[in-house]
Amino acid sequence: MSVNSQTVEETARSSDRSLAHQAVPVRWASRVGDAVWYRRIVIGLLALAVLAPIALLVYQSFLDNPFFQANAKLSFSAYSYVLSDRAFYEALRTTLVVSAGITVLAVPCGAVLAFLLNRTDLKGKSIFEIIVLVPMFISAIVLAFGYTVSIGPAGFLSLLVKGQIGRVPWDIYTVSGIVLVGAASHIPYAYLYVSAAMRNLPSDLEEAARTAGASVWRVLWDVTLPLVFPALVFVTALNLLLGFEMFGLPLILGDPKGITVLTTYILKLSTLFGVPVFQMMAVVALVIVLLTLPMVFLQRHLLRNSRRYAAIGGKGSRATPLRLSTTSQVVAIAFICLWIFFAVVLPVGGIVLRTFVNAWGVGVNVFQHLTLAHIAGLLNVPSLKRGVIDTILLSTVGAGLAVCIYMAIGLAGHRNRGASNVVLDYMILLPRAIPGLIIGLAFYWLFLFIPFLQSLRQTLVSIFIAYTIVGLSYGFRLLQSLLLQISPELEESARTTGATIGQTWRDVIIPITKPGLFGAWILIMMLFIRDYATGVYLLTSGTEVIGSLMISLLATGAMDTIVALAFVSIVLTAVALGLAIKLGVKVDA
Amino acid sequence: MPELVVENIHKWLGNLHILKGVSVSSEKGSVLALLGASGSGKTTLLRCIAGLVQPEMGRIRIGSSVVFDHEKRTAAAPEKRNIGLVFQSYALWPHRTVRENVGYGLKLRGVARPEMDRRIQNILDRLGLGHLADRYPDQLSGGQQQRVAICRALIYEPHVLLLDEPLSNLDAKLREEARYFIRNLIRELELCAILVTHDQAEALAVADQILLLQDGKNVQQGTPTEIYQRPGSFYAADFLGSNNVFEGTVDTAGAGVRIFGDDWSLNGVKMDASVSSSAKGRAVVRVENISVHLDEAHDRVRMDLEDCLYLGDRWEYRLTLGGLHAKATGKFALPAGTVFAEIPPESVWIYPQA
Repeated sequence: MSVNSQTVEETARSSDRSLAHQAVPVRWASRVGDAVWYRRIVIGLLALAVLAPIALLVYQSFLDNPFFQANAKLSFSAYSYVLSDRAFYEALRTTLVVSAGITVLAVPCGAVLAFLLNRTDLKGKSIFEIIVLVPMFISAIVLAFGYTVSIGPAGFLSLLVKGQIGRVPWDIYTVSGIVLVGAASHIPYAYLYVSAAMRNLPSDLEEAARTAGASVWRVLWDVTLPLVFPALVFVTALNLLLGFEMFGLPLILGDPKGITVLTTYILKLSTLFGVPVFQMMAVVALVIVLLTLPMVFLQRHLLRNSRRYAAIGGKGSRATPLRLSTTSQVVAIAFICLWIFFAVVLPVGGIVLRTFVNAWGVGVNVFQHLTLAHIAGLLNVPSLKRGVIDTILLSTVGAGLAVCIYMAIGLAGHRNRGASNVVLDYMILLPRAIPGLIIGLAFYWLFLFIPFLQSLRQTLVSIFIAYTIVGLSYGFRLLQSLLLQISPELEESARTTGATIGQTWRDVIIPITKPGLFGAWILIMMLFIRDYATGVYLLTSGTEVIGSLMISLLATGAMDTIVALAFVSIVLTAVALGLAIKLGVKVDA
Repeated sequence: MPELVVENIHKWLGNLHILKGVSVSSEKGSVLALLGASGSGKTTLLRCIAGLVQPEMGRIRIGSSVVFDHEKRTAAAPEKRNIGLVFQSYALWPHRTVRENVGYGLKLRGVARPEMDRRIQNILDRLGLGHLADRYPDQLSGGQQQRVAICRALIYEPHVLLLDEPLSNLDAKLREEARYFIRNLIRELELCAILVTHDQAEALAVADQILLLQDGKNVQQGTPTEIYQRPGSFYAADFLGSNNVFEGTVDTAGAGVRIFGDDWSLNGVKMDASVSSSAKGRAVVRVENISVHLDEAHDRVRMDLEDCLYLGDRWEYRLTLGGLHAKATGKFALPAGTVFAEIPPESVWIYPQA
């Protein structure tokens, strides 16, 4: 042994003294072999893909003409036009009313639903747990058309009622109609996050209240809801965000009576002037982002704190369900069934029925008018046929590629510390604040006027890139949670065995996350199937997808074709959902 | 030439100074145990050697290559250090069979398939795992998993084998066997092994050298017998073994050294140059160094036996001498009352009061 014990002690002591007044030395080098360049390149590319469209949007808003025109000059003219337009303020007011209305209805309903399915012995819980999520998976544009054909002015149910009492006692083409329909389809978003919070609550807190004499509903009000308060704030922010971004419902249900929200106002601007008014569209897009951004930051803040909160609580006691009385059971099940009827059966049933009949109305037996003509019609028009094929391609191959991209980004952020990770975090967050319609618009501009991108505009590549950015924060969080489940020692043991960081990713991390990657693929698939807004501006020959085709057909009034497309969308969603359930993918991720 | 040399390593975590200039070295065919309480920095030191943690200052040499030097600003990645690390949790890859786990290091080093198969089978047979080659880690017992982890770290013949509390997840019986087996393996294969442990029995049994760490600093390095029988400081004396600690006043005036209280006095030995007369001091006496008798003799101290506790293989005696409370052990139950304790002066180690 070369080091004598006493000298060791002395050197240790003396060096300790000399360092006592010295600050912590500056870290002089990042860890060698830490894939620093890979991380920098990936984060850099991502920043480019996220910031380029946003930068273009901001730049365009300060010009007086479309940015590609030679005579475009810096100006506030677009702002002064939009901010003095009465229609803009009307749209802004409607947006706020609709978002607030949806939130006020959906959050309490979602919270009660979460309580019933997580904390009580409600009958048929296991079936309800999947069914209540269904409205979330169906494309909002499909739902909107579904309501039109079932309870619209000339809908199946409306005419049925009219035949009985002589008039239709409701009108869904109103602000309150939009709020009601929107709330019904947004309940799952509230349910999902409140459920996650409730599952982590130790049940003894509720049992204590129960033994002290509180009824089930009092327990909910006095104990459970206050304990999940952060989750309630989170879903409130989420529902407001979704309300601000809402596009399909107000377009279908609001447009006939001239009700506009900010997203549909953007769409109207282009038809209003007859020439592209990109600068004004950009201004309105930025106003929407200004509304959504605070919601995104609020959510992020809450998530961070809730993680800390969960770490303190985590004693994982098994939840014993609260017992519901028979009356409560009946009331609760009736409430859920009624909602599911309104949110799923009514629109989906309407679409399915409408797809296969060619005549209906007072005194008409629809079963004598069954037809396959609408579906056959899809196959005869090349652009529609392409739309169906492209949607399938995009949601299978495209979703798979997107998962690979999210994984590449996830690895760049995995066990990464320092400034580059903060940058990554914001790059992931930013697209969440931008509605798909606007992301699609910004990419449309990029593909239109950047020379080497132009050739890609009329291919699925343009749609794929836009969709990938739209799904970025959802997809990244999915993969991040997979990566965080891997114990760091499994990676460290590969490193000490002689694997570089790249070999560790290839041989350890990716194989271990494989089952989870498969689940993520299906969830992204469902996201891509239900998206309709992103493709609106990118729609051209070669980039047809079902969602944007439906919107483009709206102006022509070709309802037969629209419902057939909606039907295909429902079938694709059902197949993906079935696949997910069959393979045990957690659809509530 | 030592196979591993660690010089003056400093590590900060934020403002926390975790390692405060630790130096140590180890040779082939010997086991160095890093021993210390939790928070002493022993695992951090091991991770610094492995390259999983980068210290701010110091120098580390493994074999003939310097893998870390803050002056030259060089730091080799873990995979470039040619080390083997056995994790406390074993960290076996769940998606690979035993054979694939063990063979991974050879695959990375480009060893040909037949040669690889031969060496995998060889090392598995040697550790009694030959029949388990195609199982997955979750189909193995804890002891088997531990041996697979050792195979995986050994198969490519690393310069240094690092073991991070490798026995702590085994049950008591298995642990005793594993101690013996690891010690033999390291001797036979002429390995340079570093073992992190908080279990002193493990360190004493397995190691050729022990480095005792306290609060990120070396306390003492030596062979197990040196550390146990000649502890250089009060901390080292008290950390190891089962002890009596007596606080009193030191007296060096007479022939020997003695420590005394109001109504007791014990002869002892000075363990530190700074022990001075009539200053406060502390004496450490290992429990096993006090023997209790019923008959009087000139070198025995008259004490009161208050109680006897049955521990299975022995009895524990609770003794008092005025204000002094002491523990001792023996083979038989003794009646409460007066007894005579033999406390040899060479086992009464006197240190200055901190």
